[in-house]
Amino acid sequence: MAKNSRLSLASASDENYTFCWRVFCAWDYLIGNPEAAESKGAACVAQSTTSGAVLISLRILANILVLLSLAGSIYIIYFVVDRSQRLEQEKPELTLWEKNEVSVVVSLITMIAPSAFELVSQLEMYHPRTSLRFQLARVLVLYLGNLYSLIIALLDKVNSMSSAIPVSSGNWSDSTTFLATIALPEEDGLSTVAPDAAERQNGTFLLGQEANRTRGATPVFLNQTALYGYNMRTPQDPCWETYVGQEMLKLSIIDMIFTVLSILLIDFIRGLLVRYLSDCWCWDLESKFPEYGEFKIAENVLHLIYNQGMIWMGAFFSPCLPAFNVLKLIGLMYLRSWAVLTCNVPHQQVFRASRSNNFYLAMLLFMLFLCMLPTIFAIVKYRPSQHCGPFSMLIYYLQAIARSLKVTNNQLRMQLQTGRYCGVTAALLCPPTARLQDTEGGDKKPDPEGHVTGVESCVRSGSPRRNSSVSGFESPERQGGGGAGGGVRTITQSAARPGPNRAQPGPTGPNRAFGASRSPSTPSVTQEHREEHTPNRHPGHPGGASGSCRSKSHHRVAYSPSCRHADSVHSDPLFRKSFRPAPREASGLAAAPCRFHTTRYVILNERDAPKQLLRSNARTPRRYHADELVDIVELCPRSVRRFPSPGPAPGPGPAPPPPRQRYQPHLDEEEEEEEEDEEERRRRRWRDAFASAQSHRPRSLSDLHQPPRPLHRADSGPPNPRGPPHWSRDEGPRHQAAPSLTESDSDSVASSSDQQHSSTDQYIQVIHYKDKGPRARGKPAKPEPKAGARLNVSEPNELFCSNV
Amino acid sequence: MGNKQTIFTDEQLDAYQDCTFFTRKEILRIHGRYHELAPHLVPMDYTNEPDVTLPLALIVNMPELKENPFKNRIVESFSEDGLGNQSFNDFVDMFSVLSEMAPRELKAIYAFKIYDFNTDNYICKEDLEKTLNKLTKEELSAEEVNLVCEKSIVEADLDGDNKLSFADFENMIARAPDFLSTFHIRI
Repeated sequence: MAKNSRLSLASASDENYTFCWRVFCAWDYLIGNPEAAESKGAACVAQSTTSGAVLISLRILANILVLLSLAGSIYIIYFVVDRSQRLEQEKPELTLWEKNEVSVVVSLITMIAPSAFELVSQLEMYHPRTSLRFQLARVLVLYLGNLYSLIIALLDKVNSMSSAIPVSSGNWSDSTTFLATIALPEEDGLSTVAPDAAERQNGTFLLGQEANRTRGATPVFLNQTALYGYNMRTPQDPCWETYVGQEMLKLSIIDMIFTVLSILLIDFIRGLLVRYLSDCWCWDLESKFPEYGEFKIAENVLHLIYNQGMIWMGAFFSPCLPAFNVLKLIGLMYLRSWAVLTCNVPHQQVFRASRSNNFYLAMLLFMLFLCMLPTIFAIVKYRPSQHCGPFSMLIYYLQAIARSLKVTNNQLRMQLQTGRYCGVTAALLCPPTARLQDTEGGDKKPDPEGHVTGVESCVRSGSPRRNSSVSGFESPERQGGGGAGGGVRTITQSAARPGPNRAQPGPTGPNRAFGASRSPSTPSVTQEHREEHTPNRHPGHPGGASGSCRSKSHHRVAYSPSCRHADSVHSDPLFRKSFRPAPREASGLAAAPCRFHTTRYVILNERDAPKQLLRSNARTPRRYHADELVDIVELCPRSVRRFPSPGPAPGPGPAPPPPRQRYQPHLDEEEEEEEEDEEERRRRRWRDAFASAQSHRPRSLSDLHQPPRPLHRADSGPPNPRGPPHWSRDEGPRHQAAPSLTESDSDSVASSSDQQHSSTDQYIQVIHYKDKGPRARGKPAKPEPKAGARLNVSEPNELFCSNV
Repeated sequence: MGNKQTIFTDEQLDAYQDCTFFTRKEILRIHGRYHELAPHLVPMDYTNEPDVTLPLALIVNMPELKENPFKNRIVESFSEDGLGNQSFNDFVDMFSVLSEMAPRELKAIYAFKIYDFNTDNYICKEDLEKTLNKLTKEELSAEEVNLVCEKSIVEADLDGDNKLSFADFENMIARAPDFLSTFHIRI
């Protein structure tokens, strides 16, 4: 290339010696016959005489004609592709012509148009070399336009087909025709192996079809292609790459056929006619009209470039096309070399090939670039087929995974935003914010995932440190939605795994907690509960959450997306509320406690008034939830230990306090307000839970449950045997005095149920708060607790995190 | 056919090969063509280097030159006496320069000679006019001819003497894309 450009530059001229050249170089000394001489003379005259204006107008006319023909060819190709699509849809059986229409039209255009351009260029009266350059440029533009319009039309067709309704079986045979059309050239024997191979690449179902694609075994075709057609016709057109690849292969084959035919007809037969008919013809055929064919070097080179462009476009869709093309080119080379030696005469104008080498190489590079563009566009824009091709599963699978993750992320986020508050986690992690945020209560979703999410989000939102520790959950929950759901799910799932342990009594506190935490695995379990109290789906989860709080450390990884999704809606908001930091008022910290309550609730009573619990949760202030969460979370470890102790003492009164007291030291730092709120809520929930749990309290936890009940409300509800109820009563004023959120606790309509719930919850909480209770009582001052609570909140979080 | 030929001695053939761009076979073929122009004049045996020249009228009737508007000038340019009487050496020389193998510079020299009708070593306007008239078979009007010639001189004249010296001509012709392809006769 460098040498060529050096030569070109050496001969390149900046100055224009048009007239000189016209004088000195116009005559071709090779001209030997008079007619040629005359025409040459006339050409010289014409060149010299034609005035500028006429010349320019002639040239403009010629250019317009060329542009019209280019536009026409592009339109024809698009029209033909469109027509073939319509034919497929309308007619069950396509004729041979209709099947191959597109390729035949494209090949015809590539054969005829260059000659037309040559005729037109005679109008322009350019210097032969200039006119040759124009000719080459026009032919190249024509080829590029053809290829582009073909591929764009095909891709458009694919697009429209994929969006079209699946056609009837009648159209299946159309798809068979695709195969049939491929088979036909094979039958012609021109390229038997390559198309098969090409098709083989294109799809799994093509394999079977190829095997069956005997030469002309139409019935077999129909069978296979029916299947293929069916696949072709399903929405999204599962094998559109196959179709495009087939079309490109068809084009290559038919182009080869046409080239061979043109060589034979235009050069060989013409040579024969001129040689043997000129004796008996009116005029001298050899020198006048037909003459011998000339070997047009430039146009042949362009045809090679066009061939290459075709291959580059189709290679992605039909991987065997390059191999077939190699065979085709080898065959064509031998055929042409024979034809040149026997049929052609040298070009009148000696072709300075050396000078144009760089031009052709540059054209080749340009063609490569342009032909890559549609392929890359198709790769990027269109989805790969689902059922065939090497990219189907991989890409789609990844996409599906990514999509599902995104969906879960969003769901979690939504849940968090709507505010499901899981008391435990919320309280633990973001007590102040938890309180503030428990507004929504509306998240009645007994969603373990949501719950867990809430927990996690709370954990996360509580502090950055937490986040790091709760890494497992963080990412999803941060968004609040789906992502957290995922993480939460794991936790809940892991937590829920021990689900069966729920049945166990208190002594299996840890188990219980785990059971609660196992809510996810329990999606089934909790589901059961849920079914009973639909809104209280959370119960399982909250418990799970609480357990998960603990289990988080253990079960971070376990993730059950399913549960999450199921519950996410309800639980998440709660959780979120509970976990949101202070600024996020609307968040579902309340949700967290709610969830927690529900979880606990489930643990204790399986199905005890999850609705009630939820309701109470909804109403309970976030802070309460947060408190609960905090308590619960914090207490979880201890409660585990503690459980055995209070277990045997179902009485609400006596049992709870001791544990609380035990916990007190830990809880000293906790906020009393939180405790108050939480206790309110807990009371309510216990009440509800207890009420519902009354019916079924096979588990030992019921013992635990019962005592708290009385704690909830002194006013109503089941007896609160244990201290907790009394304690709560005592705390009542304090609770009410506590920040506004407490009031909401007392608003619970289903007081009794709430009581039950709260009792249930309280029970658990009592367990957790064993230390808290007395402490709370002992410290009426709010500011301190608040401040301390905040710190405490963080601490529990920290603690929690550390556990985790 | 064997290598035995009696037209030229080996040394002569070697000399011809050195001086021209033809091979032995081509030289012999050209001799055959030269001979058939005037069989009675041209001996078959050139070993003793006969001094035979053919008139211009005979040579310009060759099919290769018949349709060329500049045939007279071509033959005259390659003749020693400048009148077109060519010996075999001139004949061979002519076709050698006009062949494909001749370099551009050599062709430019002889092209300049051909287009210099008045052989004053300058292509003046009259030369151009004659060239153009021969080219177009005098179908152009005087104004057009004048216009073309004027423009040509304006284009190619570098030293401003209103005529083209060999340097101008060569400079101009070197940049002509198809000079080599047109200034070519195949025998």
